[in-house]
Amino acid sequence: MSTPIRFALIGNPNCGKTSLFNRLTGARAKVANYPGVTVERRSGMVTGLTQPAELLDLPGTYSLFVTSPDEQVARDVILGQLAGERRPDLLIAVIDACNLRLGLRLVMELKSLNRPMILALNQMDEAKRRGISINTAALSQAIGIPIIETVAVNSQGVAELRKVLDGYAQQPAAPEGEQTLTLSDRQESVEALYAEIESIISQHVIQPAHLPRWQDRLDSLVMHPLLGLVVLFSILLVIFQAVFAWANPVVDLIDAGVIGLGGLVGAVLPDGILKDFIVDGLIAGVGGVLVFLPQIIILFFFILVLEDTGYLTRAAFLLDRPMRGLGLSGRSFIPLLSSFACAVPGIMATRTIADPRERFITIMVAPLMTCSARLPVYALIIAAFIPEQTVWGFFNLQGLTLFALYFAGVASAALIAWLMRRRASGREEFPLLLELPTYRWPMAYHLLMGLRERAWIFIRRVGTIILALSIVLWFLATFPGAPADATLPAIDYSFAGQLGHFMQPLFAPLGFNWQMCIALIPAMGAREVAVSALATVYAVGEESIDVALGSALAASWSLPVAYAYLAWFVYAPQCISTIAVVKRETNSAKATTFFTIYLFALAYFAAWATYQIASAIVG
Amino acid sequence: MNTALRSDAIAPALRLDQCRKGATVRVTGLIGQPLFGTQDERVSLRLKELGFLPGAPLKVIGFGLLGSDPLAVQVNGTKFALRRAEAAKICVEPIDNPSL
Repeated sequence: MSTPIRFALIGNPNCGKTSLFNRLTGARAKVANYPGVTVERRSGMVTGLTQPAELLDLPGTYSLFVTSPDEQVARDVILGQLAGERRPDLLIAVIDACNLRLGLRLVMELKSLNRPMILALNQMDEAKRRGISINTAALSQAIGIPIIETVAVNSQGVAELRKVLDGYAQQPAAPEGEQTLTLSDRQESVEALYAEIESIISQHVIQPAHLPRWQDRLDSLVMHPLLGLVVLFSILLVIFQAVFAWANPVVDLIDAGVIGLGGLVGAVLPDGILKDFIVDGLIAGVGGVLVFLPQIIILFFFILVLEDTGYLTRAAFLLDRPMRGLGLSGRSFIPLLSSFACAVPGIMATRTIADPRERFITIMVAPLMTCSARLPVYALIIAAFIPEQTVWGFFNLQGLTLFALYFAGVASAALIAWLMRRRASGREEFPLLLELPTYRWPMAYHLLMGLRERAWIFIRRVGTIILALSIVLWFLATFPGAPADATLPAIDYSFAGQLGHFMQPLFAPLGFNWQMCIALIPAMGAREVAVSALATVYAVGEESIDVALGSALAASWSLPVAYAYLAWFVYAPQCISTIAVVKRETNSAKATTFFTIYLFALAYFAAWATYQIASAIVG
Repeated sequence: MNTALRSDAIAPALRLDQCRKGATVRVTGLIGQPLFGTQDERVSLRLKELGFLPGAPLKVIGFGLLGSDPLAVQVNGTKFALRRAEAAKICVEPIDNPSL
């Protein structure tokens, strides 16, 4: 069989390439309303064609004369300069119909490559709503490229696009080839190109002079130097309040369910090793983490809403100046915000940062943004140690504590970025040049898909890595059994017990007991496992298994120890995947080693300081 | 050296970073910015690609908190955030509009 034909989606950032890609391939790649959501090439097979055809989704770019690593990916793929990649046979240029000039400019530049190309005029519904009227047939004739009108989010026009693609798919794939392009190859001046576009637009497009007024009104509020910051911090505070206040009833329900299930299974199964395994290993370990699903969902609900509205770039605008003092910029804001979900996509999103030094600093501090995997650890300890009471009228004390933990991460990131920047002064400045997309009402479809995806990722982690680590840990905590003349609880003689006792002296200055030390090891695989590890260790160790983990912790840890453990998790045990992505994105063993050591050292120091100070205060 | 840029820069009356919020202006040309060093030509190119070309109407829509930096402008219906360093490359003239 011959190689399938290759199509590639190319266009400005945030014009809807990934939405089209999802529609055409049935994929569920992430889409949102800010430039730079897609930072690497992504491929899928187009569904519903008579011949197999591959579709590439590329990061957005304004130009083939690129300024950042993500744009570089798009350009290299188009030109066939990526090693081991055949260049696409057909370019599908995507243009946001509400942003014609910018899109057409790239199209005209692509046209000079003399490659087969069609044009998808996207977001046609929004353009019509704004009173933009485009004579598509005449426009197509004027630029000499076939045009298909699409609305990617509604699959309107996608059927027609698929039909056109099917026609191309009948043709044989082109042989290998490579094009080169340097800055001096720019044949036409930008001025001449724009003059041509102006003339085309004036003939075939009717555009209202102004954006909808509410857009400008909203901008004058959220981009106001003072009110804008008030809005930003209010949004953040509401999120952390919601994570606790809204989730608690559901968390309690799942918690009771897990304990009930443990009791039920415990009553049905005969005493013995199988019962211990299922109740202490599986139900306690996995259930202990699953409890936190509602909080994860609430956190992601807010993140997805913010991403989909177009607000994020405004926040980046507001924070650009303060962040610049730290050697970062507004461009680092979105990668850092993504790191609250998970540092891995956050670190990949740094490809949108043009300045290599700034990109490096952003990568180094990204894991200090509290990722969602740490949320179960925080939530468990907060619920066990912080009383549920209301302060200053309406703040939930547990929510405030959570906010403080997140803030500790952010403040530390700021400090470290600042220290790193001081080592590299006198360098050239880089432009910000950030597009502020128009606001959009968040789409229920995106929200539901995003939440489903996130819930699924969490459940899959629970069902795979967390389950596996829980099983391993249960074995380690159960075998070998206690000798006949045992004086200590059986778990003290197990492998886990021995290992914990072996590690404990190292962590004694931080106040950690050996159970806490044990939990740190599997947490390297996934941070949530710290919770299931504690659950298993305490379930195996305790005689009664019907107490919630939180109560078990509250009974055996002192308050300074709990704080120290939280402090440890603010900084450290970066999971293995984070270290791996740092290695891939920096492509430097030295940088990766530095990254790993500095975070561990910071975690140790922070936990030590917290323990000592808290002990002195509590007395 | 980009002579085309320099020739635009004869007696720039007003630069974008000197404009007030709400100002409506027209681009007259781009000038060099030493802060960008060797990157300057590339920055000029990118600004032009984004539509900051002679004749393009601009509207200043907002400023950041510290030192009125960055600033947000609207060009050809698209909003961009620019720092003062980039804005200082853009020479503008006020648009005479009796209705404003």
